[in-house]
Amino acid sequence: MKTPRLLWKMITYRPGLYAVNALLWALIHLSPLIPGLIIQRFFNIFSTDSGSSQLVWTLIALLAATAIGRGALFISGIWIDQLHRFTMSALLRRNILAAILDRPGAAALNHAPGDVLSRMRDDAQGAEDAISWTLDVIGMGTFAIVSIGILLSISVPVTLFVFVPLVAVIAASQIASTRIYRLRKSSREASGQAVSAVSEMFDAVQAIKVAGAEEHVINHYRGLGNLRRSAMLKDRLLNQLLDAVNASAVHLGTGAILLISASPLQATRLPLGDFALFVYYLGFVTDFTQFFGRFLANYRQTTVAFERMSELVPGQPADVIVAHRTMNLTQSPTEPVEDVEPMPAPGSLRTLEARGLSYTYPSSGRGIQQVNLSLTSGSFTVITGGVAAGKTTLLRVLLGQLPKDSGEIYWNGEQVEHAGRFFVPRRSASIAQVPWLMSGSLRENILLGVEPAPAVLADAVYQAVLEQDLDLMPDGLETMIGPKGIRLSGGQLQRTAAARMFVRQSDLLVMDDLSSALDVETEEQLWRRLAELQGKTCLVVSHRRAAYLQADQIIVLKDGQVAAEGNLAELLRSSPEMQRLWEQQTEE
Amino acid sequence: MILLGGIALQLITPRVLRDFIDLALAGGSYTALTQKALQFFALVFVTQVTATVATYLSERVAWTATNLLRGDLAAHCLRLDMTFHQKYSPGTLIERIEGDVDALSNFFSQFIVRLLANGVLIIGVLVMLYREDWRAGLGLTVFAAIAIAAMLRLRQVGTPRWAAVRQKSAEAYGFLGEVLHGTEDIQSSGAKGYILRRFDDLLRAWLPLRRNALMVFSLIWTSTMLLFTLGTGFSFGLGYYLWSMGAITAGTVYLIFNYTELIRHPIEQIRVQMEDLQRAGASINRVQELFALQSKVQDGEGCALPSGALAVDFQGVTFRYGDEAAALSGISCQLGAGKVLGLLGRTGSGKSTLARLLLRLYDPSEGQILLSGVPTNACKLAEVTGRVGLVPQEVQIFGTTVRNNLTLFDPTISDEQTLEVIDAFELSGWFRSLALGLDTDLGPGGGLSAGQAQLLNFARVALRDPGLVILDEATSRLDLATEALIDRATARLLRGRTGIIIAHRLHTVQKADLIMILEGGELLEFGLRQELVSDPASHFSGLLRTGLEAALE
Repeated sequence: MKTPRLLWKMITYRPGLYAVNALLWALIHLSPLIPGLIIQRFFNIFSTDSGSSQLVWTLIALLAATAIGRGALFISGIWIDQLHRFTMSALLRRNILAAILDRPGAAALNHAPGDVLSRMRDDAQGAEDAISWTLDVIGMGTFAIVSIGILLSISVPVTLFVFVPLVAVIAASQIASTRIYRLRKSSREASGQAVSAVSEMFDAVQAIKVAGAEEHVINHYRGLGNLRRSAMLKDRLLNQLLDAVNASAVHLGTGAILLISASPLQATRLPLGDFALFVYYLGFVTDFTQFFGRFLANYRQTTVAFERMSELVPGQPADVIVAHRTMNLTQSPTEPVEDVEPMPAPGSLRTLEARGLSYTYPSSGRGIQQVNLSLTSGSFTVITGGVAAGKTTLLRVLLGQLPKDSGEIYWNGEQVEHAGRFFVPRRSASIAQVPWLMSGSLRENILLGVEPAPAVLADAVYQAVLEQDLDLMPDGLETMIGPKGIRLSGGQLQRTAAARMFVRQSDLLVMDDLSSALDVETEEQLWRRLAELQGKTCLVVSHRRAAYLQADQIIVLKDGQVAAEGNLAELLRSSPEMQRLWEQQTEE
Repeated sequence: MILLGGIALQLITPRVLRDFIDLALAGGSYTALTQKALQFFALVFVTQVTATVATYLSERVAWTATNLLRGDLAAHCLRLDMTFHQKYSPGTLIERIEGDVDALSNFFSQFIVRLLANGVLIIGVLVMLYREDWRAGLGLTVFAAIAIAAMLRLRQVGTPRWAAVRQKSAEAYGFLGEVLHGTEDIQSSGAKGYILRRFDDLLRAWLPLRRNALMVFSLIWTSTMLLFTLGTGFSFGLGYYLWSMGAITAGTVYLIFNYTELIRHPIEQIRVQMEDLQRAGASINRVQELFALQSKVQDGEGCALPSGALAVDFQGVTFRYGDEAAALSGISCQLGAGKVLGLLGRTGSGKSTLARLLLRLYDPSEGQILLSGVPTNACKLAEVTGRVGLVPQEVQIFGTTVRNNLTLFDPTISDEQTLEVIDAFELSGWFRSLALGLDTDLGPGGGLSAGQAQLLNFARVALRDPGLVILDEATSRLDLATEALIDRATARLLRGRTGIIIAHRLHTVQKADLIMILEGGELLEFGLRQELVSDPASHFSGLLRTGLEAALE
């Protein structure tokens, strides 16, 4: 079972913090021992007639002093615990995010984004809770052991009865084990679906609004909510039943103890103080027993949480999500983020070659087979072909956005081991077919962390034909563009993505079909400005004539394979597919 | 009922214990003691059963209520106009709809009931104490009153702190939600480090907010604990005093002590409830804040649009996003019922804005739009969206069945209608390949080719039978064969309907009756296509020439 190992790795991430936390909480849990002893002393007054009002006052003063001490312990306990708890879930969330961003970009998520978000939120919370439970088990367990010791010193046979309910509690949770696991799994799944529905709903808000489908979409969400409700209730009911069984076992134990103690109470006159202490401690011991029962159930549920989180990074050991890393939670980092390689220097690209690239989409069975590709520095290569010819797939496989099934890639003759990590600025930069932007200003979206000289940024804006749009915006680059850049038009989105590519000053520029959002004029302007730029190597998916005419080399794809390649004049003579694609444009 | 039973049980149990002690101290018979012990067992058993049932029922109430609230809140947000959605990302809304309402669930299920139950329990304990000795009763009454008053005061400190925590967590999940959609661009921009750094920044800002809120909690805990200790001390002093006066037995001293301990529990419960209320209070405020937002696009008094093709009449339409420069200014023109308009212009010229106004995603800042003579802002929103359809460029696939993807969850559309449309829009080849037919679940992306995805968009619109169809040109990524398919689909969709085609290319407007060219939000040219073609001075014929020149270059 891997859950203990994962929990252990979480504990050892900040061992000092955990130890201090455990110590503080052990003390907090132990602190009721003292009031117990005071209570014992007080009630013994009545059975031994050995009291004075002075003693009573002393006991009261002691009680007050203990309380102040406990308060101080508790406040420091919370201080440490909140830091520790937050650190635990932050580590998981941070690791999951890093691991997702490390996957091939175009296939990074294997679940709907809303579902992923739900796992990062709730399952990480579950693991955080589990760690906290281990602390409480330690604290309460210590208290239980100490108080059992004291109880034993009062009466051995009576104390032994304390263990009867403990056995019952463990048995109950063992019997229910599979069911606990199953119910938790299905309640978390139902929950993930509901969260996912909210996410989709607001992702597609415009589509829903224009279709007037608000009502129906909401009803669908309400339906998922009902499914979640029943799954959750089953899950919770089982927890409550276990709780009730535990509590009953504990109380029956108490009753039995009372019954047995009745005889010593009579025979040996067990003093009232001892009896009060017995009942007082018994309360804590039984609390522990009940708590331990819950802990066992929680443990099964934590397994579900870990499984759901590690599903987000398939093909990697689950340890990835609990990997130890530097997190600067309390102060700003002085050094760059550790797990990100620094941007490589401009790679002085001479040649880029790919041999036998193949990839098949698991869902549709389509893809590319055995594609070869060769670029030289400063060249302009166009990839063209009909729909589903594999153009986008080829770019994605080459750049490591999809995991290739086979094939090799060579940069200046040297084999590229990990394309996803290799093809980054300043070696290469690209624009996706449907560009992604996020909440924030235009500037933040263009820069995404790079800090170029002002002239470089201005150049990038010009290259992307974005300068006129900026002039019209009162806030210019500081314009807030809204979630997904919703406040921009389709063309502005694409040109912002273009500026983002240009500002990275990379050797290789990769562009996937700009024509979907740009009108002919703007696109041609972009090509013209690109042609003025010296020394850039371009790899472009397009079926616009302006691109064909500028190309040094055209690669025609058909059904995932290279149908023809060469310059435009050759291809127009030799390739029927190229002729067809060319003709298609004549109509404009 | 169950709750009151539970309270009674809690009150009786200590008395059984008291009797037991007095009996034991007085040297009662073993059978009498056994009897008491059995009474105790029975009480415990009944208490557990009632507690389980009560919790189950209250959780059911909670889930029902929060589900209702979540649905209402989601519906409200969905109906808010697009300026709202330009501000709040889906991730943020998840946190506000799911997260904030989660925080309320305890409030719904147990708050009132528990508060009531614990209140009754406290009163019960006090009454029992008064019965034993009025001094004990009075002392504990004062004690309980002070404890509760103190907690109420401290509560007010917590709420704003929890609001700040909720705000930050919504921000963090909003950020994550957006990032999860952008993995491809983040990789190619080499922005992984930047994204992680921003996430770290969010975490770093989140931590102290949570600490602030939790420290209030620890203060409340400590102060109640101190109060309880005072209570215990008081019960000691009083018990000893009364006992030494000979007013009460040792068993009663223990009873007073036991009741003081017992009263702790409900007061502590009230503390826990208060703690929840602080968090809930923050969430309630945030939920109310959302509900208080009004859509800028409001339902009119309602005015049914005629069936069949709709005529469109723009009357001096001007529109601004917020306080920006006008995206459209003074647009006036008419489009007869059943006619097709080709809408041209550079990106940012106002084409999409015009479409958004027709769909009432926004209302004009000035002027009005009439559909077959009816001003759109006089209609209810549903009346407009029911009669105006948009075929967007992008296809949004939902993670649900094919049926839901086509009908957009509308249960009133029959399977026959759906299948008919699948057939009409030449999707039957794809449909036959589906294992479960209409019940097949479409995963992310849906495994559709670009052309099929477009056809799905056409089918969605056709199922709702609108009188005006707006097509945001989407043919640019398609090859010749698919383009022919889309052309057929366009013709079919526009049959008997008014059409507006937002075109990025001249090819698409060949079949249009009228042409409109926008530039910088103004109407540059509007007229019959044939006339514009034959007028060499028109912008449209100029475009045709340069377009052809570009092709002939």
